[in-house]
Amino acid sequence: MGLFLLFGLFFAGLIAGVPVAFALGFATVVVFLYEGLPLFVAFQRIVSGISVFSLLAIPFFIFAGELMLQGGIAVRLVRLASAAVGSIRGGLGVVNVASSMLFGGISGSAVADTSALGSILIPVMKEKGYDADYAVNVTVTSSIAGVVIPPSHNMILYAVAAGGVSVSSLFLAGIVPGIIMCLFLGVAAYLVAVRRGYPAEAFPGWSFLARSFVYAFPGLFTAVIIVGGVLSGIMTVTESGAFGAIYAIVVTALVYRELDWERFKTAVLTSVKTTSLVMILVATAMAFAYLLTLYRVPDMLANGITSISDNPLVILLLINIVLLVLGMVMDMAALILICTPIFLPLAREIGMDPVQFGIIIMMNLGLGLCTPPVGACLFVGCVVGGVRIDQAVRTIWPFYLAIIAALLLVTYIPSISMYLPNLTK
Amino acid sequence: MTSDDIRSARPTSLLGLVYAVVEFVVSLCMAVAGAMLVLLIVTMGWLVFGRYVLNDTPTWVEQLSLMLVVWISFLGAAAGIWRKGHLGVDFIRDAMPPVTQHVLRAIANLMVLGFAIAMAWQGYLLAGKTWTRQIPMLQISEGWRAVPMSLCGALVSIFVIVHLLEQVRELKGLPPRPVE
Repeated sequence: MGLFLLFGLFFAGLIAGVPVAFALGFATVVVFLYEGLPLFVAFQRIVSGISVFSLLAIPFFIFAGELMLQGGIAVRLVRLASAAVGSIRGGLGVVNVASSMLFGGISGSAVADTSALGSILIPVMKEKGYDADYAVNVTVTSSIAGVVIPPSHNMILYAVAAGGVSVSSLFLAGIVPGIIMCLFLGVAAYLVAVRRGYPAEAFPGWSFLARSFVYAFPGLFTAVIIVGGVLSGIMTVTESGAFGAIYAIVVTALVYRELDWERFKTAVLTSVKTTSLVMILVATAMAFAYLLTLYRVPDMLANGITSISDNPLVILLLINIVLLVLGMVMDMAALILICTPIFLPLAREIGMDPVQFGIIIMMNLGLGLCTPPVGACLFVGCVVGGVRIDQAVRTIWPFYLAIIAALLLVTYIPSISMYLPNLTK
Repeated sequence: MTSDDIRSARPTSLLGLVYAVVEFVVSLCMAVAGAMLVLLIVTMGWLVFGRYVLNDTPTWVEQLSLMLVVWISFLGAAAGIWRKGHLGVDFIRDAMPPVTQHVLRAIANLMVLGFAIAMAWQGYLLAGKTWTRQIPMLQISEGWRAVPMSLCGALVSIFVIVHLLEQVRELKGLPPRPVE
């Protein structure tokens, strides 16, 4: 009954339009009272849920990403990508994917990726005769690289929710799947461009390419600092996040000279907003998860799924389908925090490494950011591109297929994600 | 001016005052949280500098950062309720007929209010319970960690009550916010 109440209130709250974090909190409080549990335990978990050292990296990653958006790093990355792959047929589509890959390597968020690159590339693409729906589709789907390619603040959320998975392993594990996904998306962008007869850009020459690289290099170096700092073990995730944020301030203010006081203020306030949304979600999800464990929800789910099939391949497919469906209606951060404690035990039981499972979650829920009815990247992309969501979605399927193909590869071939982390063990 | 005029003028101006105060408080929350974020970055940068360059790790930074992030989160979350910035699922409610939408909005506001009151109350108790304990390295009370939760709960309660009043005004056919 308590469990029924917990989920009933949570979903009722969602339907009524209560913010996810508060719906989790409300349901938790009522069930604590109903079960006669001491309420201070719930609120202690809410406060202690945020007071976690590795979570401190999240505001840093978010802030560094905002600075790149405000301070001219994104523009230079696009120029580099355009010089490198623009001469392919449907060039700007491929440029878009390549930019996302580069930008994903320095920002940790798919939505930042969509708004940073979309606002630069979508207008240019439309001007050059690309259809708006195509421009939006490519921008939105390729921004998933932001969560799969390290750094990624969603990976930190997963590491915390999974209870002690190594963040540096997750970072390493995301690299190859992220690149494969972008390759697939690049192929999809190319094929659609050929069918629609989009033009190619002229190759600007090697010297231009070299110059674009030099201009983009200080920005790209942020990735070396953040990711390199963590992977080499020199710095903790939190320290490298802070260092990366400070470096981004220096580059955008002193090297690129595009960061003025107003833009700095915007970056700070937007970061506060995003950080607090994520952290309050972490807080209430921690209290909610306490009840999930108390009611043995993971066991129940495992029994339910294994009663359908005990074939690991089928179980993984089922998990993926459930995550995809949930991802369509709910936001990524909330789902990572709610689903990880529920699904991870099951994945472990069938012998999957929690690191690989983390990458599956990133890709799967990342796709959820691009699907209607609720998809943060899709929303942002459509606003920037000036198309209606249903217009964009009608022609987006080749890109969905590319991501799902990459997702299935990563699900069924462990070495794609696990090769790099295993090397360092 | 007749007494009738005063009576009809007062509610709007009082309401206008309420809005001005709330907007000010929300901006203040964001400004304080923003300053704390900058402080967080600077001190953490100092930690990295101290550890690798000076070979002397400032041990207080870790505890200070954890305190700052709790404050940033709760202040930002409270402001997010007023500015409707939180993640939620709106499309189901938005697809409903207007009357149902009204009812759902009221329910949603009441649920948030319920949780916010619990937050304010339990945050207060938690702060009291931990007040005499000191945070190592910082020389301040452990209770300060629970204060922002209590504050957040109190602010959200106020914001939601104003949102509920907006709904009442809409039902009366008035514009939801006073026109100044």
